[in-house]
Amino acid sequence: MTESPYAVPVPKGFRVGSWEVLEPLADGAFGSVYAARRISADSGARRIWADSGARRISADAEAGGELPAVAALKFLPTGTRAPHRFNHLRELAERETELLSRLRAPRIIRLYETLTVEAPGRPGLDGATVLVLEKAEASLAALLRRPPAPAAGPALLVQVCEGLHQLHRAGWVHGDLKPANVLLMKDGSVRLADFGLAAKLEGAAAYSPGFSTPDHTPPELHWAELGERGQQIRPSTDLWAFGVLAHLVLTGTHPLPGSTAEARGDALVRYARGAEDLRLSPELPGAWREIVTDCLARTHEERARHDASSLLLRVERAAGSTSSSRLRSLRLLRRPRLLVAAAALLGVAVALGSAVVYERGGEEVGYGYHHCPAQSVCFFSEDNGEGQMCSWEASDPDWLAGPETCAWTRHAPVRSVYFNAGDPAAFHGVEYFRGRDFTPAGFDLERDTLRTGCTAARAQGNLAGTYAPRSHRLVKRC
Amino acid sequence: MHSIIVVPPAGGGERTAHGGRIELASGDVLPFGRDVPAGGLELGHEGVPRIAGEITAHHAFWIIDNLSENQTYVVENPEGAGEHIKIAPGRVDAPVPFEFSRVVLPAAGELLAFEVWAPRHAYRTASRSGLSGPATAPAFALDRTKRYYAVLAALCETRLRGAPHAPVPTVDQIVERLRPAWPSATRSSVYWNIDYLAVKLRLKRGPEDHEPGLRLNGKKESLVSLALRFDLVREEDLVVLGCAAPEMAP
Repeated sequence: MTESPYAVPVPKGFRVGSWEVLEPLADGAFGSVYAARRISADSGARRIWADSGARRISADAEAGGELPAVAALKFLPTGTRAPHRFNHLRELAERETELLSRLRAPRIIRLYETLTVEAPGRPGLDGATVLVLEKAEASLAALLRRPPAPAAGPALLVQVCEGLHQLHRAGWVHGDLKPANVLLMKDGSVRLADFGLAAKLEGAAAYSPGFSTPDHTPPELHWAELGERGQQIRPSTDLWAFGVLAHLVLTGTHPLPGSTAEARGDALVRYARGAEDLRLSPELPGAWREIVTDCLARTHEERARHDASSLLLRVERAAGSTSSSRLRSLRLLRRPRLLVAAAALLGVAVALGSAVVYERGGEEVGYGYHHCPAQSVCFFSEDNGEGQMCSWEASDPDWLAGPETCAWTRHAPVRSVYFNAGDPAAFHGVEYFRGRDFTPAGFDLERDTLRTGCTAARAQGNLAGTYAPRSHRLVKRC
Repeated sequence: MHSIIVVPPAGGGERTAHGGRIELASGDVLPFGRDVPAGGLELGHEGVPRIAGEITAHHAFWIIDNLSENQTYVVENPEGAGEHIKIAPGRVDAPVPFEFSRVVLPAAGELLAFEVWAPRHAYRTASRSGLSGPATAPAFALDRTKRYYAVLAALCETRLRGAPHAPVPTVDQIVERLRPAWPSATRSSVYWNIDYLAVKLRLKRGPEDHEPGLRLNGKKESLVSLALRFDLVREEDLVVLGCAAPEMAP
């Protein structure tokens, strides 16, 4: 038998439940994730291998949750005839299912249903557990593989920290927080995923099966002793991993020196034994330096002085995105670039629906939109949500006057927009005008719509214009 | 956090914690010789230089310096069918690739030896190379060709064959069970392997460690439950024992 690089090889076109498997997305130590699209279970003449009586997660059914058109299917080889037949895989699948079916939180990947494959002709697949999950656009690991460090790093970290906070508050420890397990969604938001090593807290600690990713593991778990229940992990385990992640995201480098995981492991040991001090990258900004230093404290006891909620406050402050401030104008995301004269022909807004910039597979991915707070409309000085940003939670009749001003638009055009509306959104569009008080001016008057443009809720994209609007208002629809 | 363990020659030196074993973390240096500074490994023999050499832990392996004037040291792999490396006098930073080794020093017509263990040697599945990103690593990396694996398999055999509450076999039973595949197995070599497995699998040292009798039984029990819980030995792995289980005595 030829070994596939995927832990669970699933042929394209394979059907399970109401899903048809498309291409592979990712592979972990324990299972494989495939993209899938929803088909009606009885369509087509092809043989259906699926267990059509698969168990649905009732919470979603009650909430009237529709299954999405596309999803990510995570196959865990829990069948009795799978080549990698491991009892503990079943335990990992159970952990992940238990956590995800109980915990619905904004920053935790959403589980739609779980299925069991019934495919007697395929011993490798028969009995596999399938988690039907929200499909992400990319992982943070994929983003970090393309230097430089993402401009929206601080905003990403706020969301990762929110995820940890939601998880810890619910009484779980992630146990394997790393870039590959932080997923980025199409709307630019973050989800924590991969809970196979997560553990439910019993008092102050939890037991995890003892797997770990060395680069993201705190010193006390590095070749740690094991009890019969496995490895003891604690919320401080995730805090350490968050410190490593923050350093990686903000500087592009690992906090400990060394070109290989083994060399960094050595540095970790020397640091933990007090033989060396932590030497963080000089690129790390001051407020973040304190956060990362606290997360990477040598011992559990020192780290345990902090928890996810105190960390979240500091991370928000460091990222400059406190949820209380209403206007977040003039936030310098990175050093402004010389604006290239725009080559816009007409200076009109492009159709935003088709201008979504997230792309898969080697293309540029713009994550500056991450910086836009929830329930806000954000305008940016550069493409793809980069550059300077002004954001509002409501309409504004005059950008350059009144309590909320967006000064850079006096001299520079708006290049991209994101309407980060809530779900469900009270307003489904934001229209904007060159004139004050939602009135058309200049070129607006030549357009049928008598406005500069209108962006639908949750849409984002680049504007082709060389102008900046002067006012905007939220509308029921565009 | 240690990755290398040095086991002093039997009988020599005073007994300290864990049978006098010296644990080295990556970067730690251990000098050995007749007259070494405190903390070094003392080899009390007239034929050994005052400072005979140094061992340095490096990641999961170790390097050795031969600081003698004219004696070649030999590092043997006890399970390697005579596999060994020679360390010429004056050689520094010679890497040793074996998981366990016996360092042999000639000393005035005698041979002195001590052991060095490198239990953190890692293995991964070749078929899963080429995947990007740091992998989530399993907690244990066992070499299924080593004798310790056969000992672990023998310990788990009865429970794997469907007697979940069977008592763990005694050391004598294990010796008997291993004999077909390993004719020279003895009680002491089985003890040695059980000790090594406890280090390899990073068993938590329990309070019963102070009582020798309890200690062995507790160790065996813990090894079996850990191995079964994490599928370190599965039924198909029992082939390392060489032949089918003998009939149970009535």
